[in-house]
Amino acid sequence: MPASAHETLLRDAAVVHTSETELLGTVVRLDCVNVRPALGALAAGGFDQLVDMFATDTGEAIELTYHLRAFSGFETLFVKCTVEYDGELVSVWDIYPAALFPEREAAELLGMSLTGHPNPKRLLTVEGTEPLLRKSVAIRGAQEVQFS
Amino acid sequence: MSDVRLDVSRQPGPRWVLPKGLRRVPEGLDELATEHLILNMGPQHPSTHGVLHVLLELDGEEVQAAEASVGYLHRGIEKLAESRKYHQVGTLLDRADYLAGLHTETAFALAVERLAGIEVPRKADWIRSLTMELCRLASHVVWAGTFGMDAGAMAPFLYIMRDREALLDILEAITGGRMMFNYVRPGGVFADLPAGVDTKIRAFLDVFDTYLEETDALLGGNEIFQARIKNVGVISRDTAMAFGLAGGTMRASGIDFDVRRDMPYAAYTELDFDVPVASGGDCWDRYVVRMEEMRQSVRMIRQLVDGMPEGDFTAKVPKVLRPPAGEMYAAVESPRGELGIHLVSDGGPTPYRMRLRSPAYYNLAITDEAIAGSLIADAVVIIGSLDIVLGEIDR
Repeated sequence: MPASAHETLLRDAAVVHTSETELLGTVVRLDCVNVRPALGALAAGGFDQLVDMFATDTGEAIELTYHLRAFSGFETLFVKCTVEYDGELVSVWDIYPAALFPEREAAELLGMSLTGHPNPKRLLTVEGTEPLLRKSVAIRGAQEVQFS
Repeated sequence: MSDVRLDVSRQPGPRWVLPKGLRRVPEGLDELATEHLILNMGPQHPSTHGVLHVLLELDGEEVQAAEASVGYLHRGIEKLAESRKYHQVGTLLDRADYLAGLHTETAFALAVERLAGIEVPRKADWIRSLTMELCRLASHVVWAGTFGMDAGAMAPFLYIMRDREALLDILEAITGGRMMFNYVRPGGVFADLPAGVDTKIRAFLDVFDTYLEETDALLGGNEIFQARIKNVGVISRDTAMAFGLAGGTMRASGIDFDVRRDMPYAAYTELDFDVPVASGGDCWDRYVVRMEEMRQSVRMIRQLVDGMPEGDFTAKVPKVLRPPAGEMYAAVESPRGELGIHLVSDGGPTPYRMRLRSPAYYNLAITDEAIAGSLIADAVVIIGSLDIVLGEIDR
């Protein structure tokens, strides 16, 4: 697989995106509405596996990262998009069933609503737990105890 | 716990429709409309290997649908790492995968080193590989023993605990800890190999060669054990790929991928080893692949002990690390598969975000799919064959 295979696949699927080579590897940034068509095209075009999917609180919004791998040639691709706080995480489980667990985790730990998922329950925490991975949620133990 | 109930509808069949080719419950399987029973397996159950809770929807002995419920061991390691300095994160990661702390530590150290541009001395790489392979053996023997117990073989567990004890003694001599090591640090390792440890390792390997074959004969040579696990829990290549499986579970389904060989780190480029691959994808293949992995680990440990280079065991690293802003992904082959750390740095003294890509997390996600359609007794064996560690899944 040539190094720019993802470019051809995304262009053929008419997905608006930017592609950069960073220290991390090849990073494709796109709009969230384009995630499903983009991943669909990439999955059909030889990116066999979703290695990982997770979300990060950037301080302004939530950034989703889809880490894909093509086993022929071991090409790695990071697809990133940004969701507003309290936004919607659209499931890609029917493209990559590997996303079934991490999507539930990302939704609960960053306070997003999960749509299109066959089982959109919480995965790790119980009902009522704060979205722990938000930067605005502090760790209680991090506050110093004042001794008089 | 109202959120962990299965949908107890009187309509039999799967609760959601999986993509074509992934579904295992035949449609219209239960036309007699017998009452289904919801069974809670775990979280306290000897064959769930920790605190795994599986909800089974049963029609007699047959599992109609299954749902793994995790999170009982969630400690928020990813969140806690955001308030720890880079040198302090190792202690958290030991507690993620408690059977393979050295692998998780190394993945993190690699990510930090690649981001900060730290050159690791050759000896540190070799010590890392040596301790990781010892740790892999210590983890795989636990798996072999507990998997045997799942299938009804009690004796091998007692034998492997003897071997694990010796392995933990060696690891203790090198790292100072038996399970919670905190030995691999960004830049190298915490301490040099102690004098005489090579003799200790060689002496162990000489008897372990025999012990391993003995365990294999006791377990794999047992007809009852074979009958219990052959053609049970078959995971096809496509399913393994789609669900993002890792490690031995993935290689047993015919995907020839090993991080040590295909994305090399530490000293693995200099070692001679084979990657066992099977094509059947059943529990037996997973057993065969892992047993062969142990033989390969023994082979690697011999090379590592014989060729251990001289030199420093750590690079000069500042007391407070501040890797430049950016992202880095580093993966290692843990006993359970590709264990990755995705590190996001903002240039500060603590990680901005640390994502632990846990192999057992992805391996576990297939239980719902692999168990449905099997018998309860097989469900136990299938979960055992996946080699899950809940500490790593829940983080």
